[in-house]
Amino acid sequence: MNIEKVAFGFFIVLAMTLNFGFFIGEFENPSHHHVYELFAAIIVNLIATVLKFGDRTQIGAIHLATSLVADLQLIIAAVVWAIAVHMSAAGLQPVTMASIVSLSGGAFLANVMSVIILIVETVMFRR
Amino acid sequence: MNSAIYLAMRRMRAPLLALLATYAISMIGMVLMPGVDAQGRPWHMSFFHAFYFLSYTATTIGFGETPYPFSDAQRLWAIVSIYLTVVSWLYAIGKILTLLQDPAFRQVVRSARFAHSVRRLSEPFYLVCGYGETGSLLVESLDHLGCRSVVIDINLDRINELDLQDYQNYVPGLCADACPPEHLTDAGITHPRCAGVIALTNDDNANLSVAIAAKLLNPNIMVIARAESQGVMTNMASFGTDHIINPFERFGEHLALAINTPTLYLLYEWITGVPDTPLMLPLYPPRGNWILCGYGRFGKAVARNITHKAITPTLIEADPTLTDCQDCIVGAGTDGDTLTAAGVKHAACIVAGTNDDITNLSIVMTARELNPELFVVLRKNLRRNDPLFNAFGADFTMQPSNILAHECLAILTTPLLSRFLALCRVQDNDWGNQLISRLSAVIGETTPDNWDVHITPVRAPAICRQLIRKKQVRIKQLLCDPANRLDILATLPLLLVRKQRVMLLPDDDTTLKKGDQILFCGDAEAARRQVLTLYNDNALSYVLFGREAPGGSVWRWVERRRDNA
Repeated sequence: MNIEKVAFGFFIVLAMTLNFGFFIGEFENPSHHHVYELFAAIIVNLIATVLKFGDRTQIGAIHLATSLVADLQLIIAAVVWAIAVHMSAAGLQPVTMASIVSLSGGAFLANVMSVIILIVETVMFRR
Repeated sequence: MNSAIYLAMRRMRAPLLALLATYAISMIGMVLMPGVDAQGRPWHMSFFHAFYFLSYTATTIGFGETPYPFSDAQRLWAIVSIYLTVVSWLYAIGKILTLLQDPAFRQVVRSARFAHSVRRLSEPFYLVCGYGETGSLLVESLDHLGCRSVVIDINLDRINELDLQDYQNYVPGLCADACPPEHLTDAGITHPRCAGVIALTNDDNANLSVAIAAKLLNPNIMVIARAESQGVMTNMASFGTDHIINPFERFGEHLALAINTPTLYLLYEWITGVPDTPLMLPLYPPRGNWILCGYGRFGKAVARNITHKAITPTLIEADPTLTDCQDCIVGAGTDGDTLTAAGVKHAACIVAGTNDDITNLSIVMTARELNPELFVVLRKNLRRNDPLFNAFGADFTMQPSNILAHECLAILTTPLLSRFLALCRVQDNDWGNQLISRLSAVIGETTPDNWDVHITPVRAPAICRQLIRKKQVRIKQLLCDPANRLDILATLPLLLVRKQRVMLLPDDDTTLKKGDQILFCGDAEAARRQVLTLYNDNALSYVLFGREAPGGSVWRWVERRRDNA
């Protein structure tokens, strides 16, 4: 068993599960989507991205790309949230919440792809 | 650039993870700590504010406590997060700076930048391997002629020197071993614009591997290689290296040319010299007893090539066993005793040919003191010693790297010239005398230019059109001034190559055929005027028939009718 592989797999799967946790719930209902979950999802996604740095293989490149997509989507969701809460007069509207959740849904898809690649890679090398 | 990015990413992994972790912990803490707002109600910092607070705290900017004054719990956590994040920032910045200073990283960045600038070259360029005495001289001359070049050298000092040079065009330089093919590929050996590879390193094997790589990776380009040993020379010739130059042999041959047939040497110097410099005056080395100092590889080549019957050489060598020198006087030649033993008082000439400039100067200074009438031949090794050699004023100074560089330049810029010079070397003194007098009638006080004329549709379209119409064009018509055809341009045809036939000094009445290549020598102004005859139909027909050909279609029609009538 390789501790590096464990950490790598752990963070990638955790990124997906946290993302899913934030995503699941009633679409427009702010009480179903907690900001802490989004924060955790962003941090874990960023860690997963950094762990993927520096792999020169083709699979490594796609891994990094999916992670970057997830980061981008989640960070945009967080920025939208911050703008809604702090900068708009109306506060957090259901319509804004919907767009935040759908952004995180996109990120979730990217994370799922990342996990699939991880599984494919593991099956391919069978070590 | 790719590998530089990968290297940076891999090195930055740990500091980035540390930053992420400390930020995450500190932000969570700031959000969780209870605080109060302006009205004294319980308040928790949002993630947005926590990130804002940390961003200016971690980078040690410090805007204070926003948006409301902190509670003690928040201050407590602020202390923790300051130490956490500031330390991790310092760590990350330290890592970035180390990475930028890292020699391996810098080398990767430098070679990536080099490969990029080579890839972007859009003009023909020459790849010069080895930027020593010869290489730098060659690159300088190529730059002077407006040709681009790319340099590889294994020595970093020389590449730094290249960067400091003030060239017209940017010359990309890579500090690397020229042997690995990937370095050559980076340097553009497979680039479509690469016109030639010149291997001038002082390592025979490196030159050999460059020549082989060039022939395998890009078989169409011209390869010039320097080789010292006979084995490497035959090896290079076996796979078709275009030109192989042995510096020692060339130096010996050159010196011998000067001694045996001074006029041919003068001719050689005139034709290969840098244009627009004053013409070299003829030299007449004296006959009699010659003293050769230094019997290394250069000395051997000189001794072998001096075949003149009236010259009897005496050798002086410091280490006879190492250089396998029989029948010589042992000594450095820098002291009066050795020189007297070699008979300097009655000698006609001394050749100081060791590989050390200071020794050479010391030899000839001592020798001249003993015999002021002595004719002095000096070997100069390093260009930076120029002032010393100029101050001494030898009868004859020769620099091996200079000879090599001029030869390479002649091969690269006017390919016919090297063929002409090879033919010249086997001629005799009288032939040389005749040509010298013909040349001096044509050219002025300065060294002439050389140029090739190719009778092809691209290089001489007007002439080709006349040839298609079965009109005859003679060489003498290329010598007419297109402004006034009674004036003769200051130029002389030296060589005509027609398929496999080579005509040395072709007759002025020779008719031209398609595909002919002619080497001209003369002043640069003549070359410029001649171009008009080659390209412009009207100028050519004026030169041929003495009248302007009609330019427009109507006038051409009128002309045809008049001709028919």
